Amino acid sequence: MASPVVAQRPAETPPGPGRRRRPGVGRRDHLIGWLLIAPALVYFIIFLLYPALAALYYSFTEWDLHSAPIWVGLQNYTDLFFDDVKYPHFWKSIQVTLQYTLVAVPLTLIAALGQALLINAIRRGSNLFRLLLFLPVVTAEAAVGAIWRWLYDPQYGLVNAVLGLVGIPRQNWLNTPELVIPALAFIAAWQCGISMIIYLAGLKSIPESIREAAVIDGAGPVQRFFKVIVPMLRPTTFYLVVTGIIAALQVFGLVYVIFSGGGNRSVTGGPEQSGLAYVLHIYLYAFRYNAMGAACAMSFILLVFIMIITFVQFKFMKQEAS
Amino acid sequence: MNQKTVRRLPIYIALILLALVSVVPFVWMLATSFKNGPDVYTQVPQLLPLDKKTGEWNPTLGNYEYVFTISGLGTAFWNSVWITCVLVPVKLLIDALAAYAFARIPFPGRDKIFVLMLAGMMVPTITLLVPRLHVTQVLGVYDSPWGIILPNVASVLDIFLMRQFFRTLPVELEEAARIDGAGRMAIFWRVILPLSKPVLAVVTITSFIFHWNDLVWPLIVLNSPDFYTLPLALQQLASTESGRAYYIMAGAALAVVPVMIVLLIFQRRIMQGIAFSGLKS
Amino acid sequence: MIRRVTGAAAAAVLLAGLAACGGGSEEGGAGSATELTYWMFQDRTPQAGEVVEKIRTDFEKANPGVKVNIVKIPKDDYNTKLGSALAGNTVPDVGILDQPLVSRFAQEGTIKEVPAGTLNEADFWEGALNTNKVGGKLYGFPIDHTAVALFYNKALVPTPPKTWDELKSISAGIHQKDPKVAGIVVPKGDGYGAWMWPGVVGGNGGQMVDEANKKILFDQPQAVEALQLWVDLLPSSPREITDSDQAFANGLAGMMISGPWDVATIKDQFPDLDFSVAPLPYKTTPAGNIGGENAVVFTKGKNEALAWKWLQHLTNATNNTTLAQALGGFPVNKEAAERDAATFGEQQQAFLEQLKVAQARPAIPQWIQINDEIIAPALESALSGKMTAQESLTDAANKTRALLGWNS
Repeated sequence: MASPVVAQRPAETPPGPGRRRRPGVGRRDHLIGWLLIAPALVYFIIFLLYPALAALYYSFTEWDLHSAPIWVGLQNYTDLFFDDVKYPHFWKSIQVTLQYTLVAVPLTLIAALGQALLINAIRRGSNLFRLLLFLPVVTAEAAVGAIWRWLYDPQYGLVNAVLGLVGIPRQNWLNTPELVIPALAFIAAWQCGISMIIYLAGLKSIPESIREAAVIDGAGPVQRFFKVIVPMLRPTTFYLVVTGIIAALQVFGLVYVIFSGGGNRSVTGGPEQSGLAYVLHIYLYAFRYNAMGAACAMSFILLVFIMIITFVQFKFMKQEAS
Repeated sequence: MNQKTVRRLPIYIALILLALVSVVPFVWMLATSFKNGPDVYTQVPQLLPLDKKTGEWNPTLGNYEYVFTISGLGTAFWNSVWITCVLVPVKLLIDALAAYAFARIPFPGRDKIFVLMLAGMMVPTITLLVPRLHVTQVLGVYDSPWGIILPNVASVLDIFLMRQFFRTLPVELEEAARIDGAGRMAIFWRVILPLSKPVLAVVTITSFIFHWNDLVWPLIVLNSPDFYTLPLALQQLASTESGRAYYIMAGAALAVVPVMIVLLIFQRRIMQGIAFSGLKS
Repeated sequence: MIRRVTGAAAAAVLLAGLAACGGGSEEGGAGSATELTYWMFQDRTPQAGEVVEKIRTDFEKANPGVKVNIVKIPKDDYNTKLGSALAGNTVPDVGILDQPLVSRFAQEGTIKEVPAGTLNEADFWEGALNTNKVGGKLYGFPIDHTAVALFYNKALVPTPPKTWDELKSISAGIHQKDPKVAGIVVPKGDGYGAWMWPGVVGGNGGQMVDEANKKILFDQPQAVEALQLWVDLLPSSPREITDSDQAFANGLAGMMISGPWDVATIKDQFPDLDFSVAPLPYKTTPAGNIGGENAVVFTKGKNEALAWKWLQHLTNATNNTTLAQALGGFPVNKEAAERDAATFGEQQQAFLEQLKVAQARPAIPQWIQINDEIIAPALESALSGKMTAQESLTDAANKTRALLGWNS
């Protein structure tokens, strides 16, 4: 997500202008270049560029998939924001998503940094622990949802059994509105492995000399953490916060699996819509109620949000660099 | 040495506790998957497959048999295998070719296209779903395995990662090959690719894991259970009223175990790759 | 050099090739004149799959040169899948349609009206038939019908409750005797709970809406009392017990409300549980809600005549019982139902009782959305104690009026 920043540094392009002017090579190179990117470019136009533009167009229409889209201008947007009869849970879904982001992102980063610090402090077995802590990351969302639904079971779930050992009473995690966000955020923190690896790489890149200098200055472990490690990891943390926020705003698969199903569950987003993530809300309107126009409008609101965050990141990185 | 070990003891204890939190859900998944229905539901958690009433050893493979044959996870398993096996190499080739051009072959408009592609990465998947669905219908690949493969057959992120890596390779090697009379493509195949094993491995493995696990797109593009991929079939199993913990955990195990094996084999490459892509960006 | 370039462009060719190949096979399927595509819900059991398969081969034998292509889709995702199929050209010729969608699709022209003489109304149960009617016109065939009823654990509930008062006192008694056991699995404020609730309202002589006069009725006293019943049951039926996996089958809940499909699975997987099924308790009038499956012919589909023939085949006296049972319901063909009534088994009788008094869902195009987005949350806010039953239903009724543009 941070990549555009890198791309816009033309100084990095290695082939010098001299080589480009070499007779005979240039034109043939142009052809080869175009041919090599052709498949990727075709893909990009068909499956990224066109869909993005089409979605923008549809967001100004009323469209149920089977009949032709009807142009309604900005009505989808104004209705989403102001018509709580037509879209009763639009604001709720934003609230749920922001709450989730506010809880899940810090929790994930704290867990990741903690794990990275611990692993960085040992030699023997560090690879093994790194591997074990990474396992949840490669697990399919569908499986994660299924496994945790069973772990959170109020009667037979392992979570309640373990908490019972330390005297915490049984909770009905996924069916108590106040507990849904913490329960989901815990799953996110359980899957913090990627952040952990990146933090670990960041820790390894802190020069030993700086650490030693701090020791010589008489800094204790706590001081060293706040005076040396935290500042040195600032760019890493910033990157992880931004990518974490962008990912958290788009959480879908997990809530879809956890809150879907016949029997006594339904896809409508958990008890009192407490798990109605924004993207789940879009999905329901697009594919359950066939309100494609409104769904596209909602997805564009999300896109604008993400663009703002990326822009802020871009500004920050620039500032950091200078 | 000894003193050092003692000082590190609390660290090891903390790590062991964290590792337990990480691993126990999977152990519990496997434990549940080998139990008979009623034995699953005990007030005191029971790791071993014991009969609820008599306490006798009472494991079963029946849950796997049920999900594999009756719930259709068997078909889904093979669908996932072949779809990933076709998708990943084709995608790798397309991405590598483009990345090489973006890294090394100058032509007019190249950098503009590259920046445009990177900007496209910002667009959230959900925004693209509806029009993409339409595109698959126009191409006639809706509700078929190709409907999964085509919309995933290239990846801007992978192109970006490979481009960054290709650019770290010394240009002199290419120059030398060129003097020996090798053309662009020969250089790509014989010089660049052999030197790029680390990044190719990373991209291959992460692609495999991503596509093996992907739920959202198959959920939208597939109708016929004959084409279901494993995550989709698992989600369906978990959501039907016949879904019960022992079946669902057997289904989850089918989805989880192959990826775990891949992780065990390639763990070093994966970790390096994440550190590389994370720090690069 | 150029040769190598062509080699490198293979990816592009491959891309195009994949597209062409995918496209080719699609067209081949739809192009052949005597192929019929039928969409249905995924089988509940392997035996059900065999039943459907036999009915299919019988039809193909009786109609040489015809091939029926059956696509089975899980119930939860059926509407989603159908919606996206309708957007493109992969529409089935004929298929199951969720009851509330019949009215919407009929108004949009997505489905065809049943031609005169195709279906003899006297052959079918009226309740099931009515779920296919929009503005007095018939748009589909009923395939099977079903209802939910009260499952009860015989060890905890010796005689099932008949009235709301009995239900409340039995539930309270169970929980009082053993605080670890819940009286009844109280439905939740979700789509499924909102689907069942009209049956309870009916049990108090109430109705959800009056379609003819465009009136919302689910904020009236009958409905409010029905919701209050669920609220009153909660203290003796804590969620933390009933939300666990298979609470009833494990003996953690004395009663639950479910459909005939659960009878076989519980018997099979929890053989020790001694249970039976009774009609839903009521206050003034025995009532329930009708479920089940309708099948329709799609306007964009092909082979219309054959499609109607296939639906006749599914619902004739010979096939309807086995098919309906495979689908987890009961035959809608009167002749089949009367002939086979004795074979349904003890537990199934309660559902048949229930079906006699079951009411169809309102034929309003937006009903699924109202069910999920308005009624379900209203039930939930009353059940969670955030609002009183009256407050939440008044609010929901006002929202529904605004959405539908109805005045009362």
